[in-house]
Amino acid sequence: MLNQYYGDYITVAVFVAIGAILVGGAVAANRAIAPRAPGGFKDVAYESGIEPIGGGWNQSHIRYYIFALLFLIFDVEAVFIFPWALQLEFFSSIGSGLTVLVEMFVFVGILLLGLVYAIRKGVLTWE
Amino acid sequence: MLTLDYHALLPELIVAGTVLVTLVVDIVTRRKHLVAIIGVLGLFAAAVPILTLSFCGSLDFCSSTEASRVMFGGAYVIDGYALVLKGVFIFAGFVALLLSIGYLESDRYYEGEYYFLLVASVLGGMAMASSRDFVSMIVALELVSGPAFMLAGWRKGDARSNEASLKFFITGVIALALTLFGVSLLYGLTGTQQFDQIAVLSETVADVPLFTLAVIFIVLGFGFKVSAVPFHFWTPDTYQGAPPPVTAWLSVGSKGAGFVALLTVCYLALPAATDVWGPLIWIVAALSMTVGNVVALKQTNVMRLLGYSSIAQAGFMLAPFGAVAASGAGDLARPFQATITYFVIYAVMNLGAFGTAIIIGQRVGSYELEDWGGLSKYATGVALSLAVFFMSLAGVPPLAGWFAKFAMFRATIGVGNWWGYSIAIVAAVNAVIAFVYYAKVMKSAFFDDVPEGIDVDVAMSDAIPAPIGLAVGLAVVGVFLFGVLPGLAANVGNFSTDLLGTLGL
Amino acid sequence: MTVTVTWYLVLAAALFSMGAAGVLIRRNALIMFMSIELMLNSVNLTFVAVSKHLGLIEGQVAALFVMVIAAAEVTVGLAIIVAIFRFRSSANVDELSELRG
Repeated sequence: MLNQYYGDYITVAVFVAIGAILVGGAVAANRAIAPRAPGGFKDVAYESGIEPIGGGWNQSHIRYYIFALLFLIFDVEAVFIFPWALQLEFFSSIGSGLTVLVEMFVFVGILLLGLVYAIRKGVLTWE
Repeated sequence: MLTLDYHALLPELIVAGTVLVTLVVDIVTRRKHLVAIIGVLGLFAAAVPILTLSFCGSLDFCSSTEASRVMFGGAYVIDGYALVLKGVFIFAGFVALLLSIGYLESDRYYEGEYYFLLVASVLGGMAMASSRDFVSMIVALELVSGPAFMLAGWRKGDARSNEASLKFFITGVIALALTLFGVSLLYGLTGTQQFDQIAVLSETVADVPLFTLAVIFIVLGFGFKVSAVPFHFWTPDTYQGAPPPVTAWLSVGSKGAGFVALLTVCYLALPAATDVWGPLIWIVAALSMTVGNVVALKQTNVMRLLGYSSIAQAGFMLAPFGAVAASGAGDLARPFQATITYFVIYAVMNLGAFGTAIIIGQRVGSYELEDWGGLSKYATGVALSLAVFFMSLAGVPPLAGWFAKFAMFRATIGVGNWWGYSIAIVAAVNAVIAFVYYAKVMKSAFFDDVPEGIDVDVAMSDAIPAPIGLAVGLAVVGVFLFGVLPGLAANVGNFSTDLLGTLGL
Repeated sequence: MTVTVTWYLVLAAALFSMGAAGVLIRRNALIMFMSIELMLNSVNLTFVAVSKHLGLIEGQVAALFVMVIAAAEVTVGLAIIVAIFRFRSSANVDELSELRG
């Protein structure tokens, strides 16, 4: 029993060791083989290959914040769709499938109205 | 097969539809007053099914014979209590909308969104009145508060309005977190969120310390919402800084939602813990009355004064409930009824007081008391209206406020032991203190001279905007009606509790 | 050693206390918001742990609702902070003292 218990830990330890060797080996091989040229462009902030503007700590435009808020609302509201999707089959088996389906469309419709509102107010246009 | 009682849900459905329509109209048209008209009509339409539901027994088309309609497995109940409170919330929203129409036109504000948020807040209040489980109650409570946070900061160009909004927001969210933590502990102990089941299951855990802790957290959280002392710090600041029509809504709608939450939870869900929340509410009620009234004495700004006044009124409302629960003596239905009666009357007179204050404030251009001197000399009608509402708040017969106080005293003294007598004495002393500062406003308006710098001709140049006039007129009628026919208010209170009684709760 | 529901409750209580302390002590509005989020998330942890322990589903549903409420609150709160920031260029709540009395 106890052997079994420690056996599980030994498996984990072996797993960790193999992982460490693999990663360490890869990094070591990289060090040994790759050419090194420090300085220059390597110190600037990474902006997906485009030349960066300003430092790493410069402030973002307030517009990003509005996008973030819109994303947050829709992202979080999506959690209600998953439980609904799991239960839909049950409701259709008791003959209420259509009602429950329509309810979800009403829910999504209200959310979409919010998005339409944001678009109409010009929040999503990029001047 | 799922079936829904659409008749019972109709008031909420109408208001929810109104919320969406106001948003759509705001998007498609530039004529923003259309949005206000739709909001007013929507609330008006929602009052109709409330009436048909109230008199369901005597109507042909209304088939249900049951006193209350239980929905969603008991999480949402439409009974007399819920209907009375829905009526109050709709009335308060209606008056706040009318007050806003005249106010928003006086300056450059975002209008469409304002009405959208206000109607959404009313919807939250209505859902609140029917909620009988914690999830729907918390969601409804936040539906009331969320829009109210934004409305409080509606004067974006005014630093004071922003400050009012932030203070309101932070206290509101802390209150939410406290309540939710208590609810989660309670759920852990009882395994249910529904009030009637908690009431049964909590009796077995009534001795567990964690249960006491959960109850205290829940009551503290609601204490913030009703702005009872010692959780009142945000109230005067927010009332002064927010746009006045929003303050009118906060003092009745947002505070009312807190009251409904506190009463419903304590009465329906936590009867096993009266020894915990009873003394707590007793102390909070006594403190609220005393601190609210004493600090109101030295206020010079009318909005702040009304803020402290509303803190004190919250104390008066909680007094009978706290007294009965703390003494553990018998039936909670009677103080419950007194509190609801008080709340209904408070809603009418406080909305009227704010409406009158807005009329005066717009003409004089200030809410400082010293600028209101000699009001009766150039605006007699408005000064009389001010007198009616402030004297009603002070509890002078034959205005509605006296009956509210009478019902409160009857219920506290009726307890028949020292918990009741002592808080009745505290309340009596406070009623006198309250009279002093309400009378101070009267003295300023009727006997002082018109101060330098107030141009009477300018102040009198505009007619009172029709919507504000209508709102104040409604409130005047209500104050006299409830005052002269006290049976009416008592019947409302009875109606709300009789049906609770038939539920066997 | 097994991890029982008590551990989760203790952790949640600790998180809640940290959040409450943060709200009371810190004076930067953004950090106060983070502390409030911490309080709300400790509530979620309690709900989910208890729900798992009791074998009921309502607690997890409640946690979903709390998440949505928290998201809505933060949206409102950040909007208020942005409005204030336009005037003051500071998120320190002690500098908000126009209203007193």
